[in-house]
Amino acid sequence: MTETAVGAQPRERTRKVGPAAASYSPFLPAVLLLGGFFLVPLGIIVCYSFWQVIDYNVVHHWTLDNYHYFFSVGAYIHTMWATVWVAVAATAIALGLAFPFAYWLSRYVPRRLRPLLLVLVVVPFWTSYLLRVYSWLTILGEKGLLNRFLQWLGITHHPVGAFLYDRPAVILVLVYLYFPFAALTLYSSIDRFDWDQLRAAMDLGATPLGAIRRILIPQIRPGLVTAVIFVFIPILGEYLTPQIVGGTGGVMIGNLVVNFFTAAEYTRGAAVSLLIAAFILLLLVVFRRSLASPEAYGG
Amino acid sequence: MRWFLAGYGVLIYLFLFGPIALLVLFSFNANRYGTFPITAWTLKWYRTAIGNYQIHDALMTTLKVAAEVTVVSVVVGTCAAFPLVRSRLRFRDGIRIGFVLPIMIPGLLIGVSLLVLFTGTLHWQLSPQTAVIGQAVYTTPFVILLLAARLQGFDRALDRAAADLGANTFNRLRLVVLPLIFPAIVAAALLAFTLSIDEFIITYFLIGTQITLPIYIYTQIKFGITPEVNALASMLLAASLLALALALALPRMVRASRRAVRFGGRSRTAKAAA
Repeated sequence: MTETAVGAQPRERTRKVGPAAASYSPFLPAVLLLGGFFLVPLGIIVCYSFWQVIDYNVVHHWTLDNYHYFFSVGAYIHTMWATVWVAVAATAIALGLAFPFAYWLSRYVPRRLRPLLLVLVVVPFWTSYLLRVYSWLTILGEKGLLNRFLQWLGITHHPVGAFLYDRPAVILVLVYLYFPFAALTLYSSIDRFDWDQLRAAMDLGATPLGAIRRILIPQIRPGLVTAVIFVFIPILGEYLTPQIVGGTGGVMIGNLVVNFFTAAEYTRGAAVSLLIAAFILLLLVVFRRSLASPEAYGG
Repeated sequence: MRWFLAGYGVLIYLFLFGPIALLVLFSFNANRYGTFPITAWTLKWYRTAIGNYQIHDALMTTLKVAAEVTVVSVVVGTCAAFPLVRSRLRFRDGIRIGFVLPIMIPGLLIGVSLLVLFTGTLHWQLSPQTAVIGQAVYTTPFVILLLAARLQGFDRALDRAAADLGANTFNRLRLVVLPLIFPAIVAAALLAFTLSIDEFIITYFLIGTQITLPIYIYTQIKFGITPEVNALASMLLAASLLALALALALPRMVRASRRAVRFGGRSRTAKAAA
């Protein structure tokens, strides 16, 4: 069905109109689904963010009030920066942990063991996201493992509530959630590296860390960028993790969106959602090259 | 260096599996706070979880939604995956990014924007069906990516050979292409099913008064850790792992069994072509 389109030569272009249109037609269901229920709703959200709620009814008065309101409340601005900060910290830690791991897997683990170890990294990805967050309650909670352990050591006699319901707990759990993705992406690009280059650099007098920094890192940069954006971006829209382990101290911008919508303040919620979406789209545009490469799909 | 890194690798796996292992461990613990100390081993929490009618209802809703989401996203995704890899489209990278966008945009935004569309614009009643639409928006891109990756390894010579032997488009699709990519479709279906079962935030906004298992667990977690939720969570984990094992094993099994009947399959294709 796509035979002619594939074999198309430039000079035959005039004849290709029919087959080319036919080769686009299987996209139709996807275009309807994603157009009608992804792009259209996003468009409506854009409108909502410039409208007003009066007496619980959305009124089509064009205004910038929703954005003004968001930027006039100190707590919201603080939450916005805290979200970016949490995302930066969690991304940096996840990649920092994943790099030595991927390096080890690719350089020191025997080839026949690798598929098993890689599957073991993927397994948590296939288990429920909610359950993975929840599992940390059994460790960080008031009656959790960490408190029990500290009491057993005699360091404290009363449970310390501070492990939970604050930013460090949120960052820890986010690192836990996104580590597999960082590790797999880094592994797939490190695995293509020719280790002889590193040996050559060291023969020529480079220190091991210097060789890694100046020979290995530049060559795996596309993989690094992919890992960074695919970890950083989803964290910006996190809701469950701050909700479950973050408490009031760990609120992120996603929680604000939900709070606005559950309080029926749709237009304000829409404005905050759009701030997140706009920031993400900006990042995607800036990094579109690494997104278009097949590597972005973990291939 | 080698041993230092190996020790580091062990620590990483402890980090990845420790919390989940603890959760499963506590589900067998008689202690009703669901944590240490382990007072006695018991299956009591599994019995209460299985006997809980709320969990029953939630499970039924979850499975129904997941089945519908799987059908929708596999049909839509399979159609879209073909032209994506098989023709030299203009704007192919653009189309690709367009299809990946719903993965990159947080589920939270998909949930609230559809909520506004359904309730504010269309005035639909929220139901499991609206949740199916929302989840399909999120799962279909995964299906497209997975199938597109598999289709890239598809030997197009087979398709051309069938065409040379006179098979029309429909017969080529039915007798050559679909059987060959069937394992990938099964894997994509399992992926969509698993994603749907675990999905929380989109469903939370769109399902109205009904609940799915993740929503049930979430409402329970608000009151702290309970051993019953630990038991339910362990059963869900087991189900996810089973789906993963199937997704990994099935394509191999299908391929192996096909190899056994390959000769018969080929003559059937030839007959249809003739």
